[in-house]
Amino acid sequence: MMEAGTSEGLVAEGISLAFGGLHVLNDVSLTLRPGVITGLIGPNGAGKTSLFNCLTGLYHGQRGRSSFAGTLLNGLGPAQRAACGITRSFQNLAMCPDLSLLENVLVGLTLKRRSGWFSAFVPTPALRAEQKEVERRAMAALSELGIASAAHDKPSDLPPGTLRLAEIARAIVCEPRAILLDEPAAGLNAVETRDLMRALKRLMRPDLVLLVVEHDMDLIMELCEQIYVLNFGQMIASGTPAEIRAHPDVIRVYLGDDADD
Amino acid sequence: MAVSDLAQTSKAELSVRGGRVDAARLSMLALVAILLLAPLLAGGFLLYSLSLCFANALAVLSVSMLVRYGGEVSIGHSFFVALGAYAVAIVEHRLGLSIVVSLPLAILLGAGAGFVFAFPSRRLSGIYLAVATMALALALPEILIGFEKFTGGFEGLYIAQDLIPGIPKALQRYYVALGVLVIVCLALAHFRKSAQGLALLMAQAQPRAAEAMGITRSWARISIFTLSAALASLAGALTGFASSTVSPNSFTFFSGVFLLVGSVVSLNRLSLPAALVGGAFITLVPTYLAQAGDWVPILYGVALVVVTLVANAGDLRRFLPRGRGR
Ligand SMILES: Nc1ncnc2c1ncn2[C@@H]1O[C@H](COP(=O)(O)OP(=O)(O)O)[C@@H](O)[C@H]1O
Ligand SMILES: [Mg+2]
Repeated sequence: MMEAGTSEGLVAEGISLAFGGLHVLNDVSLTLRPGVITGLIGPNGAGKTSLFNCLTGLYHGQRGRSSFAGTLLNGLGPAQRAACGITRSFQNLAMCPDLSLLENVLVGLTLKRRSGWFSAFVPTPALRAEQKEVERRAMAALSELGIASAAHDKPSDLPPGTLRLAEIARAIVCEPRAILLDEPAAGLNAVETRDLMRALKRLMRPDLVLLVVEHDMDLIMELCEQIYVLNFGQMIASGTPAEIRAHPDVIRVYLGDDADD
Repeated sequence: MAVSDLAQTSKAELSVRGGRVDAARLSMLALVAILLLAPLLAGGFLLYSLSLCFANALAVLSVSMLVRYGGEVSIGHSFFVALGAYAVAIVEHRLGLSIVVSLPLAILLGAGAGFVFAFPSRRLSGIYLAVATMALALALPEILIGFEKFTGGFEGLYIAQDLIPGIPKALQRYYVALGVLVIVCLALAHFRKSAQGLALLMAQAQPRAAEAMGITRSWARISIFTLSAALASLAGALTGFASSTVSPNSFTFFSGVFLLVGSVVSLNRLSLPAALVGGAFITLVPTYLAQAGDWVPILYGVALVVVTLVANAGDLRRFLPRGRGR
């Protein structure tokens, strides 16, 4: 039932999404190929987060289909898509305030853990071993993003930049097959943004799907090989950074009324 | 795991270096030592009251666990407590078996009842869920009196069997209740660090993020209700054992409200000292209130209104001091 070409990567075709009379996405399609960092840009309110939520199962478009590595995703909720190997970060930081940074990242490994209910209440040697292993992986993810020193702090004691990076650490810790990052650089200073971009490039593997949503054009131009541009719920352009830079519609959106975005 | 872990409800405390951890460990050991030695000094009524206090502390913990890990309040947990208490009484009367059998049975029954209740109500939350739990508490007296043949009706049932024949009854009640309370506190400290514990805390604070990590809301709701009800039922079994009797009087609609108030009084904490404060509250306050005579229904009513308003506001933890809870 799957045509050639659509069985690879994360594919969305003809997604339309409306809230009541508000049309947020109109017939949007995109293909996220493995091994390529894909960017999604557009002014605030363009529908980037909404598209993202459609891909991760939080929203369900009225029309369209999406698939991942040949598996149809339609009808699957966020947890089921997570089980398919798709992880994400949230534009509005979504850390649990009761947990340390390390523990917040540990939750990202929930689906990988095998310990049962018995060992949730009674310490067992098998649990000890698992706990050690998952903590090692979580620390490695935090180190990867340069925030290992904050591992034992509570989110309320940390600056937004660190939390943003922790959000990404939590998305990458389970070694997912697709990572979707919603405005990962928001709230980061120039140095942190540099580090983040370096970390994302290091992360890239030939079989990994990586989508970065941003409204900062320069960052996306430097990071991504493939770029999609969304405006008022419509995909107005897609291509390489050079093609996007030269695209008349993109120039109009970014240099016209919405230039301040 | 050491006894000191009783004091540790959060990882942050564990990571505090040097003096403070040792102080916490020592004070916790001292508390447990005092409780272990208390029967040498105290006798009779005090010992009996302390045994009840331990059992009630467990019931308060069951509600606090629901608040902490589920972010929900229940005013019907007396239902699950009664389930455990009557399990002990009925197993003794019908089968002639002691709490060796009925304690594990109470846990299983509580878990089952919690699951059965949670499944249809898994999409409710806040005030709606609280009202649904209220239905449990309201139905309880009717059930107890309706199934008179098993429950002994208004009279209730006596629980006479010893755990270990030959040891004085007062000591048995005391040490069994204390032992279970300490074990449960240790288990809860361990749970805080477990995969399931972390997942529940995340599901409560950030449901969308939790879903994106594979933790569904219905899993979280059903899990925490099953656990909390199992603990409540265990608490009930010990209440029955510690007081040697069960009757509908101990499980009125207001005992459910009281459990919630006890949980609020202990700041919804899951440590041994907090549980003891909540347990003492539940054990003592109704006794004092009884002297208030005609005022009792009014005081209960006020407590109910306050608790309902808090539940309606959706978040008991706002009342916690900063830093400990959230
Ligand atoms: N749950 C929702 N209910 C109603 N409107 C929504 C919802 N989510 C997004 N929108 C609307 O969709 C539009 C696009 O929002 P969003 O996807 O967040 O844009 P972006 O991420 O590109 O800034 C906005 O007008 C927003 O108000
Ligand atoms: Mg957005």
